[in-house]
Parts: sequence; structure tokens; C-alpha cells
Amino acid sequence: MSVDAPTSQTADMGPRLEAARPQDNRGLSIPLVGMLLFIASEMMFFGGLFAAYFNARASTPGEWGPPPGAEELSPVPLAAILTVILIASSFTMQFGVWAIRRGDQGKLRMWVGVTLLLGILFLSGQLYDYSQLGFGIGDGIFGTTFYTLTGFHGAHVFGGAVGMTILFARASSGQFSARNHVAVEAISMYWHFVDVVWVALFSIIYFLK
Amino acid sequence: MNDTAVGFALLGIGMLFVLGLVFVVSSRAGRAPRGPVTPPAGVHLPPPSLLPPLMPVAGILLFAGLAFRPEDQFANFFILVPGLLLFVAGIVGWVRAANREWTDTERGSHHDAPGH
Repeated sequence: MSVDAPTSQTADMGPRLEAARPQDNRGLSIPLVGMLLFIASEMMFFGGLFAAYFNARASTPGEWGPPPGAEELSPVPLAAILTVILIASSFTMQFGVWAIRRGDQGKLRMWVGVTLLLGILFLSGQLYDYSQLGFGIGDGIFGTTFYTLTGFHGAHVFGGAVGMTILFARASSGQFSARNHVAVEAISMYWHFVDVVWVALFSIIYFLK
Repeated sequence: MNDTAVGFALLGIGMLFVLGLVFVVSSRAGRAPRGPVTPPAGVHLPPPSLLPPLMPVAGILLFAGLAFRPEDQFANFFILVPGLLLFVAGIVGWVRAANREWTDTERGSHHDAPGH
């Protein structure tokens, strides 16, 4: 069978993989494979950070939490609001992906813009939270692991915001279409991944006492 | 506003600056053709670049600037500022290189070079 011949399997892939495939129909496009591999490496990276957090917690005698003198961490209101913002941004990103699969460039531009704003809002809220916590990265093992985990996640959100800015600029120039939008699919995958990591982080840091 | 809050506010302003810079550079890539973009023949790889190793070096300087600081300061600015400049230069350079590649691909300058 020729590699170019469409099969019933490829015909059933739907618009998502249709757009993700190069035009010679020889499988998933290289940028998407690259993004999947990158996300796999990032999962291992965050897995290491979570392992360090649990290890530090297990080997620390006494109370686990902020150093004496600092307030207890509370999931409400700010952390919960930030979580809602980030989860909402995943939905708006997906609305953008669905829009460009239909070939709607205007909606793509709008949803990517909204996602970018929500990402910036999340980062601003996180920086404000840092400034109000009352302990720093050097204040004990909890402070170190807390800032390392949330800080690296924040850096990844910033990386996603950079990608989103590029998407927004390119979408404004009309560079995406229903058949040519692999960058939108790739960045959306990354953004969903960052969102999922935050949900895990939020649950572990604030609820797993 | 205490020193810590000022430091985080500056970090936020720096992030916004980088995002603005990325937007301006990306917007200058120009409008793509209306029709479907044909990928170049062969395997297209970016040219050799010093930017990938530059970014982690910048990252090391940034974190070192935060970790190895005098007691009374938010960060060691002699390490942090060069790290920040390298980081910004790396991002700008990378986006510009990506735009150049995009333009070259559109012009088809690599079509006759399979394996490039």
C-alpha cells in the first residue's frame, strides 16, 4: 500500500488530525510530535519536582507548612480564584482551536487574546500572592519547595504566554486557516498541560495537609 | 510597599515588557499567503544556533542572582541583570530566527535542498 493512499482509519481522524497532518498525508506533523515529546519531558521534570516535595515533606519532622511567624496557606480566596482563571483559560484556548478548525480567524484571534489576558492575570495574581505570603524561598524547606514548585509552574505559564503572544500576532496577520493551524494545536496542548499541572499543584499544596 | 513587593512588581513589569517585545517582533513577520502553505521538500531543520544554550545560561544567572544575594537585598543584581539581559536577547533572537525561517520557507529558498 502506498504511504500516500488514504485509509479508512485516516479518513476517520476528524478535522483535528486532518489539520495536524502535513499535506502529503504521512501521519502526524513533526511540530505536533515535537510538542508531544516536549510535554512528555516536562511531565518527567514536574514529576521530579513533586517527588522532591514529597521527599522533603516525609523527612521533615514536626509541622509541615510556612515558617513560624508567617500566616498559614489558605486556598481561598486568591489561590482558588487563580485556579478558576487558569481552568477558564483552558476552555477559551479550546474555543480558539475549535474556531480555527472551522476556519473562523476572527474568533481564533478573540479567544487567543482572551486566553492571553487570563494567563497574564494568573501571573499577576501569583506575583501578588508571593508578595503577601510573608516568607521567602530561603525560609526553611517548605519555603524552598513551595517557591520552586509554584515558581517553575509560573515560568511555564509565562512560556505559554509567550507562545500565546506569538499566536495572537500571527492570528492577527491571518496566518492560520482551517487547514494550516498546527501551531495553534501545539500551543493549546502545552497550555492544557500547564493547566493540569497547576490543578495537581494546587491540590497537593493547599489540600493535602 | 516593601522591597519584596517592589521586586515582584518589577518582575511582572519585565514579563509584560518581554511579551510586548515578542508581539512586536512576531507582528513584523507579515501576512501569509491566502492559499494553503506548502511545506518545503525534504526534511526542514533550523540552522545551527547559539540561542538554545544561551537560554539555560541566562536561566542559571537569573536563579543564581536570586539565590546568592546579600542579606539585605531582594537579589544579587550584578548576576540577575546580566541574566535578564541574556534572557531577553535570547528570546528576541529566537523569535527573529523563527520569523526568518518562516519567511525563507514561504519564499521557497529551501525547496531545492532536501535534507536541509
